Amino acid sequence: MMPPVNGFCAALAAILFLLPGFSSAAEDLPAAGELARRTAAFLGARAAAKIRYSNVSSLADAELTSVRREFEASFPEAGEGALAEIHLTLSENQSQYLLIEEVHKGEESRVWIAGWKRPEAAAASGFGLTMEKILVWEQQEPILDLALWENSMLVLAPSRLTLYERQGDAWHARQSVPLAPPRPWPRDMRGRLRRTGDRVQAFLPGMECHGTAGGKLSVECQASGGPWVLESGSRAILLADFAPERNYFDGRVVLQDGSRRTAAPFYAAAAGEDAGGTFWLLSQLDGQTGIFNANLEPVGTVSTWGSDMVGINAPCAGGSQVLATGRGDGNEPDAIQAFSIVNRTANPLAAPLAFGGPVTALWPATASTALAVASDPASGKYAAYLVTLACGH
Amino acid sequence: MRVEIREAIETPDPPQKGPGMTDLGAAFSITRWEGGRSAVYSADGNAPGGRPFLDGIEIQMARPLREQAIDLELGKADLVELGPNELRRAAGGRRIWRSAAVRLLALVFGPQVGDARLREALALSVDRAAIHSVLLQRQGEIAGGLLPQWISGDAFLFSTAADAARARGLVGPLRAPMRALTLSFEDPAWRAVADRIAVNARDAGLMVAAAPANPAADVRLVEVRIASAEPWQALAGLAASFGLAEPPQSGSPEALFAAERRLLADFHVIPLLHLPYVYGVGPRVRGGPGITPLGEWRFETLWLEGARP
Repeated sequence: MMPPVNGFCAALAAILFLLPGFSSAAEDLPAAGELARRTAAFLGARAAAKIRYSNVSSLADAELTSVRREFEASFPEAGEGALAEIHLTLSENQSQYLLIEEVHKGEESRVWIAGWKRPEAAAASGFGLTMEKILVWEQQEPILDLALWENSMLVLAPSRLTLYERQGDAWHARQSVPLAPPRPWPRDMRGRLRRTGDRVQAFLPGMECHGTAGGKLSVECQASGGPWVLESGSRAILLADFAPERNYFDGRVVLQDGSRRTAAPFYAAAAGEDAGGTFWLLSQLDGQTGIFNANLEPVGTVSTWGSDMVGINAPCAGGSQVLATGRGDGNEPDAIQAFSIVNRTANPLAAPLAFGGPVTALWPATASTALAVASDPASGKYAAYLVTLACGH
Repeated sequence: MRVEIREAIETPDPPQKGPGMTDLGAAFSITRWEGGRSAVYSADGNAPGGRPFLDGIEIQMARPLREQAIDLELGKADLVELGPNELRRAAGGRRIWRSAAVRLLALVFGPQVGDARLREALALSVDRAAIHSVLLQRQGEIAGGLLPQWISGDAFLFSTAADAARARGLVGPLRAPMRALTLSFEDPAWRAVADRIAVNARDAGLMVAAAPANPAADVRLVEVRIASAEPWQALAGLAASFGLAEPPQSGSPEALFAAERRLLADFHVIPLLHLPYVYGVGPRVRGGPGITPLGEWRFETLWLEGARP
């Protein structure tokens, strides 16, 4: 549970350092090279082929970039005058990730499938849904948010915004932009990253940064009292004013239809659908999570959640789900659990996903995955995980 | 708790396998059975994991979907099946429980249709996308394979595209009487889908006459439940349901795909859609969801408002 901040606090001044220890699902991507060799045997090693890549799995698109790199190391694309077409798809079922290759050469076609085990589900519920977490990044300085795409990763920390590039199996810091806050950061610092194509936005208490992170990180920051953009699942969006000296939103929001509303201050927002109607959930400072209709009129409460939550649309679960933290005191090991909201009641969908320490940030990563940051009291590090909800035990 | 279903199970005893009532056996005991009409289950005090919260479950069978929805609205039922039309009309705030896409809707040819061109032509003629979006209100997923994507991971490899021109090319050489097929559907809920298939078939040069419950029909529109999330078990179960050769029980994802493709190669079975089970839940029901992703009933942890022990 996030306690509200009651006053100014000292700025985080120390320059901390990044640590190795990265691991991701890409470590388990063994298949692309093998498929490339089979392709070469079928088409001929120097055959020209046009190659397409798709990702229909819950893995981040960065994994597809790894697939592409590994595949084209053994079978480079030659688009001009291509005699064959290749379509590589990253997919998944209940127990495995799959790399599926379709090759078409004239009238001939082949399908090859390589599979590898999905990470052990963190826990199984009585209803067959499971939550999974994949470690993405670990560092000493708090991670406020993290964006992952193709071969790149942006990490927002209190002191800086850093662009990493993947080289082989490791991430290397490519560029870093120091953050100079207009006033000392508040205690329990929060921040949010948004990436749309090459454009990036970073929302921080009393400050906003805009720029690009294509080949090069170019960001300008300025003092701002403007709203943060809060997304939920694939469709819902809310603009919310952040209290710059606190760790919560002050309750002033703009809904998707452009109308302005004022709710009680809240830590986090998530949206969902129940029988076709949109609802919003706001985790309030009194420990209650309010349920609101599309006009932000209160219709119910949930009293068992912590202060952080996100809304997602997990493909296999259907509809919308909410991932919420537990009611820890901010120092003890936390957990994230998935819920559906039906008839204003929160129904657990899976057993809680445990973390070794408190969850310090929880934001949407994609429409169907969340980015969770947990601190490890023993090592003092912060670790970012992609959290997904999957069907089956 | 009062439950309504549209199926009329006419057996002299409660079903021992299949979805729904069979799942109740772990925590409830049957106390009254009227085949095709109703069943009453009572809580089993010695059930593993403890006595269910509910004292009993009354099940009304053979209830049309429309009447089920009305009974739910009027408070005469606590849990009912919802079809696409009823789901669209469901009152705002209504609780809905959905399984994963575990009902396979497929066309199955009888042995009398020996010409593979005819079977393939019907497969190519069906506009699954229109059925999915218009008749089923986008419930579930369009299916080209037997297994849904969430179970196999490779369902997108099976083509679902309609190609009336190619279908016409296949049946063009056949004489008119050979292009006539009878189509049977056992569940009245699928009449609109059967009629749509007949219209699609006509565009492809086939003459399909759809009629309910015709055991001698050339092709049947059937719904089969997928009972396992394990791909090989699910495939074996479907193959058995359709009378197809049993696939091997283990192997790589590539072997699974090859086995599934072999089962479909001669177009004896044409997968159309994978659909979820969808239930409307009354306001008295607490706890849940009471169904699993595979559509199994899990009523032992439910209770009714004001009746929690």
